Amino acid sequence: MIPPWQWPLAARFGLAVALGAATWLVWAATGVDEFWPRWVWFGLATVLAAEQLLRWVLRVPAGRRRWLALDGAVCALIAVADIAIWLLSGRGLFWPVFTILGLSIVFGAHAFIVNRRPDDRERVLTERVDTLTRTRRRAVESQATELKRVERDLHDGAQARLVSLGLVLGMAQELIHRDPDAAAAMVGEARTTAISALDDLRTVMHSIQPPVLSDRGLADAVRALALDLPVPVDINGAPPPDLPVPVETAAYFAIAECLANTVKHSDATTATVTYSPTPHASPIPHALRIEVADDGGGGASPARGTGLHGITQRLESLDGDLRVTSPEGGPTRVTITIPLSP
Amino acid sequence: MRVVVAEDLALLRDGLIRLLGAHGFDVVAAVDNGPDLVRALLEDPPDVAVVDVRLPPTHTDEGIRAALRAREEVDGLPVLVLSQYVERLYARELLADGRGGIGYLLKDRVSDVGDFIEAVRRVAGGGTALDPMVVAKLMDSRRRALPLDRLTPREREVLGHMAQGRSNAAIASAMVVTEKAVGKHTNNIFAKLGLQPSDDDNRRVLAVLAYLDGWGA
Repeated sequence: MIPPWQWPLAARFGLAVALGAATWLVWAATGVDEFWPRWVWFGLATVLAAEQLLRWVLRVPAGRRRWLALDGAVCALIAVADIAIWLLSGRGLFWPVFTILGLSIVFGAHAFIVNRRPDDRERVLTERVDTLTRTRRRAVESQATELKRVERDLHDGAQARLVSLGLVLGMAQELIHRDPDAAAAMVGEARTTAISALDDLRTVMHSIQPPVLSDRGLADAVRALALDLPVPVDINGAPPPDLPVPVETAAYFAIAECLANTVKHSDATTATVTYSPTPHASPIPHALRIEVADDGGGGASPARGTGLHGITQRLESLDGDLRVTSPEGGPTRVTITIPLSP
Repeated sequence: MRVVVAEDLALLRDGLIRLLGAHGFDVVAAVDNGPDLVRALLEDPPDVAVVDVRLPPTHTDEGIRAALRAREEVDGLPVLVLSQYVERLYARELLADGRGGIGYLLKDRVSDVGDFIEAVRRVAGGGTALDPMVVAKLMDSRRRALPLDRLTPREREVLGHMAQGRSNAAIASAMVVTEKAVGKHTNNIFAKLGLQPSDDDNRRVLAVLAYLDGWGA
């Protein structure tokens, strides 16, 4: 048996009408002068209206707005009920005006509090939500682009070479008795192809996560990188130990991009990488701060190349940032900051 | 010649055992993790060890660390390190004691069986075998660092061959010059890097180290 408050609206409305009609019949049978069933009808109508209002209130999203809606609904219900009582009890002095006035003041004050300018904390939170929404979307987008690139690199590189490897080996197998010399040449070719496939795989793997970074962490990965660059790189200080993997990876690729720019564009004779502890005055507490500088010609800007831009986006998703000072004529200094605690 | 093989992937381990066995090596132990490798090397030191860099339990640079530990205990124990990638940083660490008997090659190189077996024998004999990929950057280096930049391009080329572990005779045939000319270049290299005439093999290792450091010995 379904309880009446879970019936569909029409059924509940029908029940109310039936109850109203029943009381009317009882009144007609008893022959009393006073038409008392109107109070029963008023009660039924009030219950139905209250229920509808409550449902409407519950549709408002939870929070301060819902409480305001509840307040409004209660005030409106009381005001309408008062007017109805005034009408049913023979009019006279329009006394509900006092109740309505009081309710209006209560509701008005509530509405004012809810709609007044958001306080500082709320504004900070709103900005934060905006930033998070933006950086999260970018992070997801760049991840998708990155996966697509890896897929394409594997497809065009190692996979294609392995296909050709299988082909050449198949041909060699056919020739091995008929023409051993040609077969031997093909096996040699197959070996070269296998080595090229390995080279391709190594390049792809390095672009995802350089192995030294997984093995040894940021400090040694940057040292290994510096050893391979044609420009001498001085490394000062050391990063904090046990950095989270995403921070380490983002920092590595940021440093690698900066140093690559130094080599490619700046005619620098020397570059430096400096890890520094965050000064206490910094707005971001407990951050990893790295400065990459060179003595080259300057004129670098994140707006000019896609490289620095991509790095900046990657850092943003970790709440980090990248600042470039690079006047024409040099020197160039890039500061990378990544917070370590949320 | 007695060899210990350390490689965690069964396919490659079996391949190496087969390859070394076919060329007259006696594989006395084949292990698949770092601690077992150290134990095998220390209990009964072999003539040479062929070691994969990435081994359990850490799956990082376990192989290099195990090799360096064993070399601390057993002076100059010859170790040939194989890896899916090569880093100058690791090459430098392996050579840092200046004693030779070190090889550091990409795994790809095993496909050139002749060269690979040659490298194992050379390392076992106290020589070096650095992967051409570690050495390649010497040639295109724009480093302006002293004292390597005092080397002529020809001397750099000789140093590159030396780093791969080639003898003067082998360098001569690779560069199509006389062995005497190579000897002159190597002496110039030693002089410019400030290496005193002593044990020739040792000087070769130190010259390679100087190259890896980029700044000199």
